[in-house]
Amino acid sequence: MTQLDRQGTSDPVAVPFTPGMRDNPEELALIPDEIAREHVVPPSDDPTPTEQFTEQWRNASYNCFSSGHKFCREVCPVTQVTRNESWTPTAFHANVVAMDKGELTIEDVAADYVNCTQCGACELRCPNSLFTGDFYRFRTRTVDVVKAVRAFAVDSGVHQPQWRTWNARTDERTHEPVLGDTPVSQDHVRDWSEGLDIPIGGETVLFVDCEAAFYRTSVPRAVAQVLQLAGYEFGLMGEQWCCGGPAAEMGYVDQAKRFAQHNLDNWRSTGTRRVLVLDPHDYISFTEDYPKYFGDDYDIEVVLVVELFAQLIREGRLTPSVPIERSITYHDPCRLNKRKGIWKEPREILRAIPGLDFKDVDRVTQWSYCSGGGGGLPVEKPDLTAAISANRIQKASALEVDTLVSACPWSERPLGEAGRSESIDVVDIHELLAESLGIVVGGSRGGADGADPSRVETANDEPVGKRGE
Amino acid sequence: MSDSPNSATNGRIGYRYAEQMTPPEPERVTDVAITTHPHVFEVDPRLMERWVLQQQFPNWDSLRIMNSRADHLAWMHRHFAYSVVTGSELLAEVEAESSSGPGGEGPTGV
Ligand code: SF4
Ligand code: SF4
Repeated sequence: MTQLDRQGTSDPVAVPFTPGMRDNPEELALIPDEIAREHVVPPSDDPTPTEQFTEQWRNASYNCFSSGHKFCREVCPVTQVTRNESWTPTAFHANVVAMDKGELTIEDVAADYVNCTQCGACELRCPNSLFTGDFYRFRTRTVDVVKAVRAFAVDSGVHQPQWRTWNARTDERTHEPVLGDTPVSQDHVRDWSEGLDIPIGGETVLFVDCEAAFYRTSVPRAVAQVLQLAGYEFGLMGEQWCCGGPAAEMGYVDQAKRFAQHNLDNWRSTGTRRVLVLDPHDYISFTEDYPKYFGDDYDIEVVLVVELFAQLIREGRLTPSVPIERSITYHDPCRLNKRKGIWKEPREILRAIPGLDFKDVDRVTQWSYCSGGGGGLPVEKPDLTAAISANRIQKASALEVDTLVSACPWSERPLGEAGRSESIDVVDIHELLAESLGIVVGGSRGGADGADPSRVETANDEPVGKRGE
Repeated sequence: MSDSPNSATNGRIGYRYAEQMTPPEPERVTDVAITTHPHVFEVDPRLMERWVLQQQFPNWDSLRIMNSRADHLAWMHRHFAYSVVTGSELLAEVEAESSSGPGGEGPTGV
């Protein structure tokens, strides 16, 4: 029963009222309470997989479909460069409504859902989050919807070719095939730390994502040496596997859960209580996916290295003193700024480094910036990632800087490639801080060796080249 | 600009599941609204749940939204338009841009 169902002036709800106010007419209390439930539509006795899926995501999708104000469009990096109406946050919700109504099938829409970096801009900018999300305890969940549709596609046997190969390789090697034709393996996951004398296990371990462990090894080397300089005790994981986040993002959820379980078991086996994370994508996995998988059993503290470094600088345990003569701007990684609200600490670090000419762009403007490197996009659609990176680099170029600083290894490869044509160097914030602390970082910044995330070995070890749009 | 979500953890950095899943004790501010975190007003979930399925928000998420809202409003004020632009001027600008090739949108849409 709703207000609209009632008629007549004697009806207590004929006059507008605010539910719950103590001066409401007493008769109102006689109207039975109703609770919003999942089962808005009575479930059928023998639901199809699509019905089971839309049952779960109908509510989140109608939240957008019934609003449809499209504030999300101009902050969406994919919409910006493609203007394809099927690749907008609005469409990602509307499709679920269409599936619910039996107008579309997962086969019809699965490929559209590739076109999302899961940057979170749309769901933050959506008024249903930004202005009412906390007030109504209900917000827009585009990233969850996109992940869920991708998972439903995989469960329905609808695969994207590169994603399937990528995840099969990851499953086989326990790490993402970030070096293209060069195999990655468990035996080499700690190679980046050569000569740094880091113990295994202990109360605190440093988790290094696949891209940083195998491709941009300068980042973990910088992080480890800065920690050592500050006298911060840490070890490396006994047997580190990929965090599982990319598999979850591409729809391979069972695999993601297996990887998560392995890592949690491994932390437990070495008595680890705290995990330091240098990569924003891992930070999302450990603070959003793992809690969903493990619930109350999840007792591992997760610390983002950027936050830790800002704190160590504040406490005087790190004092960058070697001037770095660069003109820089900072790229807010989507998973820190938009998805976690972390934007202050990286700026604190950069402002502590002497010599930098820092041309900052505020965090809200950067809601519409993205490297294009997230959500598996570079694996399946490298050209689209490149277009988004080029767009981001143009914004930096307009500031007449020589360096774009990021805090996300996954953004640094596409941004670095796009930066080359504009003579903009892409540097990681941890590398920059280490340099200003007088550390000779070592390792590789990737790039020159021709590794390409879009070149994944197939089952018979034939390289798969880039696919066009 | 606003504080970071660390205000949910008394300034202590790091994510701890139990802490994130335990919101501060709510305070009633009117008959129909409560505050959990300071400045985060919520319709009393008891009333809200009659119409809208209530989601679970870890502390960081409530604070992220609240802080982002404040930042966005400040941003809007900084970008407040003090002049009126005619539609024809805008169209001319769009045409000029599209003739110089595809590109991303600027912050105007934020
Ligand atoms: S995601 Fe939000 S802003 Fe975008 S169309 Fe849907 S309701 Fe509107
Ligand atoms: S998460 Fe980012 S890329 Fe995906 S639809 Fe939203 S704004 Fe676009």
